[in-house]
Amino acid sequence: MINSILRFGLIFILLILLQVLLLNNIQFSGYVNPYVYIMFILLLPIEIPSWLLLLLSFATGLIIDFFSGSTGMHTSATVLAGFVRPYILRIVSPKDGYESGSDPSMMIYGFRWFFLYALLMVLVHHTTLFYIEVFRFADFFRTMLRVLLSTMFSMTFILLIEFYRRGK
Amino acid sequence: MRNLLNFLVRYNSLIIFLFLEGIAFYLISTRNSYHNSRIVNSVRSTTRGVEEKINNTKSYLSLHEINERLAAENIALRNNISKLVKKESSLFFSVDDSTHRQQYLHTSAEVIENSINRQRNFFTINKGDSQGIKVDMAVISANSVAGVIVGCSKDYSVAMSLLNPDFKLSARIKSNGYFGSLSWDGRDYRYAILSEIPQHVLVNVGDTIETTGYSAIFPEGVIVGTVSDYEKFGGDFYKITVLLMTDFKKLHFIDVIGNIKKTEQLELEKLFK
Repeated sequence: MINSILRFGLIFILLILLQVLLLNNIQFSGYVNPYVYIMFILLLPIEIPSWLLLLLSFATGLIIDFFSGSTGMHTSATVLAGFVRPYILRIVSPKDGYESGSDPSMMIYGFRWFFLYALLMVLVHHTTLFYIEVFRFADFFRTMLRVLLSTMFSMTFILLIEFYRRGK
Repeated sequence: MRNLLNFLVRYNSLIIFLFLEGIAFYLISTRNSYHNSRIVNSVRSTTRGVEEKINNTKSYLSLHEINERLAAENIALRNNISKLVKKESSLFFSVDDSTHRQQYLHTSAEVIENSINRQRNFFTINKGDSQGIKVDMAVISANSVAGVIVGCSKDYSVAMSLLNPDFKLSARIKSNGYFGSLSWDGRDYRYAILSEIPQHVLVNVGDTIETTGYSAIFPEGVIVGTVSDYEKFGGDFYKITVLLMTDFKKLHFIDVIGNIKKTEQLELEKLFK
């Protein structure tokens, strides 16, 4: 128990540092911002109680908001992602269900499963985030393009990190 | 009572979710508009140490370019000095009482945090109240428009970037003097939109766009950019796409300009409103 709290605490700090120190400073063409911190919500244990998941999502979003000087945007997107996570897990659940007490990792459930799971989560998060940021539907398709491009980049980072974790 | 408890237990995650989203949307709704930047200001003070460290690293990496720009500025200033020196060495010269005529005060500062890829962009500079920076001062970068100060703490200030739809600037076409309103449409960080120019006005691609000085914030004649494209918008006006002169991706050394006579102008104008 204490072990896993330490482990997730470390993952949390590393992802936030990666996001704030590195990725927030990479400003590609103005269309692409990878948001990799959402990976923390992805990696939490499958059987985590939903209230804890929501509170952790809230805290994560709030911290990112603090560092990006945007109030509430990341918080609302991350809380929504935390809320839909159990449903997404149910949608993508493998044939023989989940092993009890396991983490949703590529190591256990394979690349295809992880890819689909991560893609759905990142799409939910990015779509909410970018549409809240624009706060209008006037540029619907341009915002959509931003969502898709950023999703591509975030997914690349997330898969790289996950491959690295598997390799260890 | 029992039903209520059952209901709460059954839908507890939904209730927590709605509660947390409520807080988040409350935060969004208090988001900094032009006159309400206090939250951003206080929130940012907590993360400023980190931002300054990041900026130090970044500025180290771009030293070469900064040097070149400073050298160019030096040359320009030397030229100005040589003009003045000549004037003083002649036998008769008139004395300009500089403080009497001076309308604008310049302060140079460095940008320590900046963004271009959000919808509402702000940047933070490393001078504040104690260096005389005040809210509503203009920010220019190498004589082209960059933003306006919206909040100050003791040693830092936050400026609203031109790349922010809340930023409206009174700008005109230099060649013929027709003025309109310039703002960013949230798309490309290199372009802004100049509207309210009537269609009988002759517009050419490449025309210079500059500030008017009507707002009492920006001095007259600060360059905004050049016309890169225009189209007829509605029945009466042009929609002019302006290629911005300031490269917001490289924003680093900036000048803050305060208008000494602003209060005088505004108070006079208030009488007639």
